[in-house]
Amino acid sequence: MIANQLALLRRELWEHGSIWVTPAAVVFVLALGAIASFIAASGFGGAVDIAIIGASNVGDAERRAALMVALLLNTSVLLIAMWILTVFYSLDSLYAERKDKSILFWRSLPITDTEVVLSKLLTAVVLIPLVTFVAVVVSTLINLLLTSIWIGFEGGSASHLIWGSVPLFDTWAAILVVMIAAPLWASPMIGWFLFVSAWTKRSPLLMAFLPIIVLALLEYVVFRSHLLFAAIGSRTQLINMPIFHGDPSVLFDNHNFQAHAQGPLSLLTQLDVGRFVTSPGLWAGLTVCGLLVTAAIYVRRYRDDS
Amino acid sequence: MTSLVTARGISKNFGAVRAIDNVSFEIEKGKIMGLIGPNGAGKTTLLKAVLGLTDCEGQLSVLGLDPFRQRKELMEKICFIADVAVLPRWIKVSQLLDFMAATHPNFSRTRTDELLSHTKVRPNAKVRELSKGMVTQLHLSIIMAVDAKLLVLDEPTLGLDIIFRKEFYGNLLNDYFDGEKTILITTHQVEEIENLLTDIMFINDGRILLHASMESIPDSFVELITSGEAAEAARRLGPIHERDVFGQKVMTFKGIDRDQLDGLGEAHTPSVADLFVAMIKGVAA
Repeated sequence: MIANQLALLRRELWEHGSIWVTPAAVVFVLALGAIASFIAASGFGGAVDIAIIGASNVGDAERRAALMVALLLNTSVLLIAMWILTVFYSLDSLYAERKDKSILFWRSLPITDTEVVLSKLLTAVVLIPLVTFVAVVVSTLINLLLTSIWIGFEGGSASHLIWGSVPLFDTWAAILVVMIAAPLWASPMIGWFLFVSAWTKRSPLLMAFLPIIVLALLEYVVFRSHLLFAAIGSRTQLINMPIFHGDPSVLFDNHNFQAHAQGPLSLLTQLDVGRFVTSPGLWAGLTVCGLLVTAAIYVRRYRDDS
Repeated sequence: MTSLVTARGISKNFGAVRAIDNVSFEIEKGKIMGLIGPNGAGKTTLLKAVLGLTDCEGQLSVLGLDPFRQRKELMEKICFIADVAVLPRWIKVSQLLDFMAATHPNFSRTRTDELLSHTKVRPNAKVRELSKGMVTQLHLSIIMAVDAKLLVLDEPTLGLDIIFRKEFYGNLLNDYFDGEKTILITTHQVEEIENLLTDIMFINDGRILLHASMESIPDSFVELITSGEAAEAARRLGPIHERDVFGQKVMTFKGIDRDQLDGLGEAHTPSVADLFVAMIKGVAA
């Protein structure tokens, strides 16, 4: 079972090269962006020197907060890429094998439909986030390194400005926790995409989103409410996950910034894993995902397309 | 003889269409069975039922397993090629072999490597880069490296040229079949596999028209080429089918003593293809 699952996951990486190509491309573009901004900034000459002197003289807390915002901006670009990748991957995962008829080959092997569908779910929920996390780490290191080189070139002290200030491991650990939690929180959506992928005979993208749009419009026309969109929004926006102590936006709010900036800034301490794991919303979502994935397994097993 | 496949009264409906209609048969170990029928006769549905890809009514046992409910166990012991285009096009040959080795307990990587070394299929190539014939060679090499009890081939040489087709069946017979294994095969090119088969099963409209060993065909069926008055006399003996060939009559008889046809024309054993046509048309008439 486990050996089969590992082979199936490896298979997903072979088939969907985009799982690692997409984050790699984003890392590359972010690095290029950093280089371009340094080149552009260097044109300001004296202003850069003043900025470096300024950065050297602000407090540790402020510098940490600034660096963390930069890191999180970097991460958010990769997170957006991850969501897009997950949507397209999930929709394609059980559709492509039927489209090219290779499903008949896969089904000639001693592997159950449950094992196959689970491998697709694991890819969407675990593999893609893990690959993206590696990309976050690599991207952070590359960009900090590039920044250090540039600061050194401009006459600043990178060891003081960057490496002495950035709470690297704390931030990475927090990002990892959020990246593991986010797909679980959004699992009803992933389950829906997998089901549509197993079920639809054409255009999985359209078939996944059209019913949602139509239902949401109907809801608005009949009840003048936006409950469906709100429900989807609550599952796809990180800020709505019950994993933060209070409201995470406070962290970067100007009014509250001073309060937070007093002590050593730690993202990890903002997370409450216990609250997340025990939240009814998570388990309700996982149940919906479980039902949709079971339906996908059922469709793959019982439908006779040819 | 041990029975490898046992079907008792199996049926399958697609809506109002009855694809298999109360079919019963057995396939014994060590046989090469040709399943022959026109398009839409129910061949593929029957094969799918045997492979556990579709559920059906009635009792069906393959290697002692219920194919639909124990498909995973069954797939460790049987192999099938559904048609030539079925290998995933994005995969590399080496990846395919790695995957087989990781998931199939009865797969021999060494054996596939050896079989592929005689072909132009390179391990680094992707399936989409291979010609249709090479894809079939690859698929057959994989199948032949699985120590399976039953091999099911559904139109395995569809779309291949004559050289590949001959080679395919040559390899199958020389490198695979050893009297212990059992092969169930369907194809439209009956003439090409006629000499391979030990048994045949004709199927039409979801029913079995004939299930016989190839050895028994000359005893049961005879074809007579005749003309004129002799044709009239022969017709009185009740042929199951009659056709015209270059002004002569060709009649197919079932269960008739060949001595009775003496002097009425040239008698010989019909080819599987001719027998098939005679039986389909004969029943329809």
